[in-house]
Amino acid sequence: MPAVKPVGRPRWLLAPGIVWLFVFMLIPVAFMVIVSFWSSGYYGTKPDFTFRNYAKIFQSPLYSGQLLKTLRIGLEATVLSLLLSYPIAYLLSRMRGFGKAILVLLLFLPFWASYVVRAFVWLPILGRNGLINQTLMGIGVIDTPIDWLLYNEGAVLVGLVYVYTLFMTLPIYLSLEKIDPRLIEAATDLGARPFQVFRKILLPLSWPGVVSGCIMVFLLTMSAYVTPQLLGGPRGIMFGNVIASQFLANNDWAFGAALAVTMVLIVVVLLLLVGRKMKIEQVFTGGA
Amino acid sequence: MAEIATPLPGVSAHPASRRFNGYRLALWLYAAFFLMFLYGPLLMIVFLSFNDSKITGFPFRGFTLRWYEVVFNSKPLLSALANSVYVGVASAIIATLLALLLALAFRHEFRGKRLVLYLIITPIIIPGIIGGIVLLIFFGYLGVRPSLFTTVLVAHVNWVLPFAFLTLYPRLHKFDRSLEEAAMDLGARDWQVFREIVFPIVRPGVFATALFAFSLSFDEFIRTVFTVGSDRTIPVQFYVLIVEELTPELPAMAVLIVLLSILTSLIGFLFLKRADRKTVA
Repeated sequence: MPAVKPVGRPRWLLAPGIVWLFVFMLIPVAFMVIVSFWSSGYYGTKPDFTFRNYAKIFQSPLYSGQLLKTLRIGLEATVLSLLLSYPIAYLLSRMRGFGKAILVLLLFLPFWASYVVRAFVWLPILGRNGLINQTLMGIGVIDTPIDWLLYNEGAVLVGLVYVYTLFMTLPIYLSLEKIDPRLIEAATDLGARPFQVFRKILLPLSWPGVVSGCIMVFLLTMSAYVTPQLLGGPRGIMFGNVIASQFLANNDWAFGAALAVTMVLIVVVLLLLVGRKMKIEQVFTGGA
Repeated sequence: MAEIATPLPGVSAHPASRRFNGYRLALWLYAAFFLMFLYGPLLMIVFLSFNDSKITGFPFRGFTLRWYEVVFNSKPLLSALANSVYVGVASAIIATLLALLLALAFRHEFRGKRLVLYLIITPIIIPGIIGGIVLLIFFGYLGVRPSLFTTVLVAHVNWVLPFAFLTLYPRLHKFDRSLEEAAMDLGARDWQVFREIVFPIVRPGVFATALFAFSLSFDEFIRTVFTVGSDRTIPVQFYVLIVEELTPELPAMAVLIVLLSILTSLIGFLFLKRADRKTVA
């Protein structure tokens, strides 16, 4: 039986969205790539075709160093988030009923709280008048506030994990949730130890969720701007802050565009590598 | 399948796995730790928002509501709030509309579907800071002056559109099409079928999507910073206050911002639940 077609013609239904994304997304991105080959002088940015901007990024230890450091921080934040998230995602996937509904709500509510706020909260924890310093002084462990809690890489790392770890928890939870409990039951009945169950069943079957979570967290943390800006100080600056300052402070758009293209290229390469193993959209829908 | 007791290392009622009680205890302790990590800082901010001290921090010098008074009486904050609400509503409407059309299209088979899907999720893939910068450069060279309803609105619709699509698409995809087919057999036109049948069924999903879109737009910061010009939205205003002076009303402001976006999305979830009941039934 020939199925009745759903309402509307696809061409007309697609047109508005596609036109919007073409004009306001693809063309601006393409234009940025073009600008990254322009040259900039004292009088602003000039159309040109030069690789000087890119050469500057990779020859100057300042910029290449920042890039490497940013990738390292992103990687550290990803690993920490993974370690933090897996057990809680597992617990959640094994729960049922009301308790589960409550825990799901509790875990994913902060998703909807502004990340600027969630980065900010660490200032009154780690700062001179912060929770930690004042508590330590209150109980007499220290006499003067410790300054090194804030404005360094460690503070940035804590902030990043705090802000983005839920992007790890969710996909892992979704993939663990799909595992048939009978598999684990069977393994346990046959005498498998918990670690064996984890290594032979849970981990392989939740792998898409793990990959998806890692990609999300790495992409988000390596392009972070707010968290390093608020918690990092001069030592905790990341690549995103370097890019932003070309536009907000130095007014060097061509160089800024080259830095931005570099970041996009890293994202694209990463997704292409993952794309060989799983569909890209799965990365963003929690491996579903 | 969901009814099966879950005999697992960890959470288990299975007698044979009593020896795993240690794991179970550890897991629950860990859950408590995780929730404390997640909520401790937020609860502390609520606590600090009542602190009668000019310093954002400790020690606690007594209970006061004055920081909330400051927030509610501050002209710049109220105008930033108005800006955020306007942009949020506008981008929620535009993004939901575009996403609804795209989701309707995705019920058909057409060439290049996968490519279109990639196009739709591109704004999620591209880092936020880049999403702001490309528009800064693009509109800069076009000579469009940065303002709320031009550059910021575009930045927000870009950001929100993929989420709107990903929320709406499953709802439109899985609903029972027999009513729709019956109406078509009876000679109803496309528009009639949409208005009388498809839309009423997916309406809660559309509302939910619009609320999520609003919440995302309301909290959007990084794309806004690069496109906003001299106007300020709530997150931009909040950020500027942190960076420039670390004013004592920040915790109160943080509490209000979080409450507003969480409430919006909770209502969205309620709609979504209704939507899923409707489409699955």
